[in-house]
Amino acid sequence: MDNKDFKTVINSKHRLFNLHLKEAFLYSDLIKLFVRRDFVAKYKQTILGPLWAIIQPLLTTVVFTLIFGSLANGVLGISDIDGILIPSFLFYMSGSVCWGYFSANLSETSSTFIKNRRIMGKVYYPRIATPIASSISNLISFTIQFVLFFIIYLVFLIKGGYDLSFSVNILFIPLIILELMIFSTGLGIIISSLTTKYKDLQMLVGFGLQILQFVSPIAYGLTLVSSKIPNLMWLYNINPITSIITTFRYSVFGTGYFNLAFYLVGWAISLLLFFLGLLLFSRIERNFMDTI
Amino acid sequence: MIKIDNISKEYKLGQIGGTTFQDEVQRFFAKLFKKEDPTRKIGAKKYGKNEKLLALDGVSFEINKGERVGLIGNNGAGKSTLLKLISRITSPTKGEIGLNGRVVSMLEVGTGFHPDLTGRENIYMNGAILGMTKKEIDSKIEDIIEFSEIREFIDTPVKRYSSGMYVKLAFSVVSHLDSEIIIMDEVLAVGDIQFQKKCIEKINSVSEEKNRTVLYVSHNMSTIRQLCNRVIVLDKGKVIFDGNTEEGIKTYENLPKNK
Repeated sequence: MDNKDFKTVINSKHRLFNLHLKEAFLYSDLIKLFVRRDFVAKYKQTILGPLWAIIQPLLTTVVFTLIFGSLANGVLGISDIDGILIPSFLFYMSGSVCWGYFSANLSETSSTFIKNRRIMGKVYYPRIATPIASSISNLISFTIQFVLFFIIYLVFLIKGGYDLSFSVNILFIPLIILELMIFSTGLGIIISSLTTKYKDLQMLVGFGLQILQFVSPIAYGLTLVSSKIPNLMWLYNINPITSIITTFRYSVFGTGYFNLAFYLVGWAISLLLFFLGLLLFSRIERNFMDTI
Repeated sequence: MIKIDNISKEYKLGQIGGTTFQDEVQRFFAKLFKKEDPTRKIGAKKYGKNEKLLALDGVSFEINKGERVGLIGNNGAGKSTLLKLISRITSPTKGEIGLNGRVVSMLEVGTGFHPDLTGRENIYMNGAILGMTKKEIDSKIEDIIEFSEIREFIDTPVKRYSSGMYVKLAFSVVSHLDSEIIIMDEVLAVGDIQFQKKCIEKINSVSEEKNRTVLYVSHNMSTIRQLCNRVIVLDKGKVIFDGNTEEGIKTYENLPKNK
């Protein structure tokens, strides 16, 4: 057949890397609407509305502070150096805000195909639009939480008495958030692609997230780990979540732990997973309706 | 406009994807050592490697711009599979389809409606899923609401709608789409007679005025008669008739019963 006559050609051939990104751009209005729908539908028929985006991490932080509170600067401190004082509330909140984005985005993108199979079985649109929209709508909640965090941070900073220092490191934050987005979305679309045939992984997501939360410095600091398993610190640090959260804390507090090598390893892992995810996704999206 | 060139779609019989990874590994090794499949249930019908269902078997035809084609045939003839391939929901096993222009497929009423969103919000949602930009919907929203006859409920969440209202709203969106190719799968069957009539008139007038191509699947011959100026009859994955509407309907009605 002479393909030159037609703008769209549908066949069984598969190019290794074809995500229809150009098309996804044409559907940018759809992505915007998906984001709006996710956000609006989540808070419909609630009295407090988007306030819930703030309440959840605040409650987690309060619980952390109440349970581990006094330990934040002792055993659970963020730095190896003694005598550094960070408000435990801020310490826990920074961890739970980052973690909140990661876990919400991972669980949403990992069910892309399964949750949307009804729509996807009836109409064509670039499938990648769905995970893109989830990661953006979660970013909105994250931004609200981050602003709240920053306000509380400023209150502590003005009140004084702590070793908080406002520095240019804060410019690092967008880069860390980008890494968080890439890592969670990459992992999410890998899981979503693998679950089109076997749903086992889907069952593991909730459990896996719980385990990952324990092995990441969210409710405790690095000192705890380095004092218990000094020989395995490298393994602990390879987890991108660890470097993301410690670097996040380092950037806002101006003190703490920062290791460029592990930070770069975290980026490498995130990018690798992301591209692997895109590759799998573009492979699966063509025929997943036949097996899901 | 649409050229379908020797399209086939194959489905494997038996339990596909309904097994666990462990079963699949066991099966792989059994095949490697030429043993019997260990995961097969005793007494279950054995589906060999070559037992596949050809939902579509070398289908070819062309549809020109402005034609309104009815696709008819018994259940299992491959009508819906063909529509799915043209609307890019799944890909063909063999062959090629060439298209010019934007395709809007309405394989279901109200695809992408979110129960918690209002009628107005869902018009935007549904329109965007079907490929409209926000600007296009903005310019048509008044016409869509007018056509749907449910203006007073337009700012109510659609989960409170009756099924008739739901259908009317969904159909209004589709009939206002400005795409070159419109694909529909038995969607007019719902809704009351008056509304059905209104819809058919709308599709006909759009198709005639703007030279739109329509591909319509239905078991309702009177709708086919009113809407289509050409009919393609499918049977067991093959095209058995292509041409005049009345003759096509006769061919379909005279088909021998399945088994």
